[in-house]
Amino acid sequence: MDSVGCKELLGHLDALLEGEGRSAADGHLRDCPSCRSLVEDLQAIRKAARGLATLDAEPPARVWASLRVRLEEEGLIGQGRRGWLADVRGWLGAMPWRLSRPALAGASLVALLALGFALSRPFETRLNGSRWTRSTQRSTMLLNAQLNAPEVRTDSVLATFNPVVAASYQRNLALVDNYIQLCEKSVREDPENELARDYLYDAYQQKANLLTQMSEPGDYGR
Amino acid sequence: MSDPAYLPRLRAGRMAATMVALLVPGMLLFGASPASADHLEKRFKVEARPVVTIHNPDGLISVKAWTKRQVQVQADHDSSNIEVDAVQTGNRIDILTRQLSDTVAPGDWRADYEIRVPEDAELQIHNDTGGVRVNDVLGDMNVETIEASVNLEDTAGYLTIKTIGGSFECVRCAGRLEVSSISGSFRFTDLHSYQVTARTWKGDIFFNGEFLPNGTYNLKNHSGLIEVRFSPGDSFDLRATSLKGRVQNEAKLMQPPNHAFFVPRVGESSFGTFNAGQAKVELTSFDGTISILKRE
Repeated sequence: MDSVGCKELLGHLDALLEGEGRSAADGHLRDCPSCRSLVEDLQAIRKAARGLATLDAEPPARVWASLRVRLEEEGLIGQGRRGWLADVRGWLGAMPWRLSRPALAGASLVALLALGFALSRPFETRLNGSRWTRSTQRSTMLLNAQLNAPEVRTDSVLATFNPVVAASYQRNLALVDNYIQLCEKSVREDPENELARDYLYDAYQQKANLLTQMSEPGDYGR
Repeated sequence: MSDPAYLPRLRAGRMAATMVALLVPGMLLFGASPASADHLEKRFKVEARPVVTIHNPDGLISVKAWTKRQVQVQADHDSSNIEVDAVQTGNRIDILTRQLSDTVAPGDWRADYEIRVPEDAELQIHNDTGGVRVNDVLGDMNVETIEASVNLEDTAGYLTIKTIGGSFECVRCAGRLEVSSISGSFRFTDLHSYQVTARTWKGDIFFNGEFLPNGTYNLKNHSGLIEVRFSPGDSFDLRATSLKGRVQNEAKLMQPPNHAFFVPRVGESSFGTFNAGQAKVELTSFDGTISILKRE
């Protein structure tokens, strides 16, 4: 009799994905096309993600160190997950590094954290709702703290802006803040909802982008 | 029978009224568009694939392609507190509005540009408010605005458009297109792009274009309407999800086997393959409506 069912498969995913010889789930995979399809898809995703790591862009080593520490703190990766961490390299290569300008140095962390959560998606099923809630709350607290300083700085120079630009900034910042609240509510209600988490971190990223754009006055001033 | 005595006076009065009716709007029109205080006109000879950068805080920027290997800049502004300038460095033309006094009133920043470029020109445009219009330019393009609307027609290349509140419209565009905004709406008409990534938070997205083989079309908003039109001969894989809104789909999709785990488990969704599934179409909304409708 097959002792591994669909529900128990998740406990065997590591062994299956790492290709660690025979797994207790092998028998179940033979008989269950849905689970077999899932494992095949995950293996394909893993293989594709490894390919991303070969991209040329190579941020400094300290970025990897801090990102790794952060993800380990969040419990999203363990000691044996270096492969997935390396996979982020390709994604980071495509990041708008303008965020790390002095005016918004902290905002780069926003993107790193968002990437950290994006990275963790394949393992979401291993985490329960309360763990997601805790890690999301910790991260969003940090994000809010990081974005607070540039927001205060922008507010302080708002009077020097063209009134149309200032009004646009205030209106759109309020919009993004409202979306952050809506998304946080959705994540609280359903912590494992991947799409809600995506929107939440996208909203923080958008806020960072908005503050960056307003902090760049252009050659003519603003 | 002779005319009553009041008729000449009435005719004279009507004539005067007619003259007033004609002259006053004309005077108002004249008053509304006074001659520009300053006008700039320059021409530069350029090589293949010139780069043209434009930095302007407020006004209309119109860029059109022509067959000459020249860049022509015409600019008008009213305020003496700003100046417009265009300089050439190698194969790059930099066009800039700059302030001449320490304090420039908001209304004094406005400058309007008419620019002609070779069709292979690369454009980098920054315009906070007003509008940007580009026609027939086939080079890569980067446009950033705050509230200015952006209108492209018959363009190609790698197009990246970023606005905060400005709307974006693209007619007969080709190449690769990336558009982002917070509250601007997007409209893609007769598109021929192989890669489209469009993201707005509070805005509508209307897409009526070709789904090219191996093309990817990723449209996403938070709230608002995403409307996509398709023809019976189109071929695409569709994944449409609205977390808290609705998905209306008129395309009869085939479900791929063994992908039960990848069916979105949240919100409303519609996914599957239309014909051979050659293009990939992903539509995502938080609480907006997604409509996939037959092209009329």
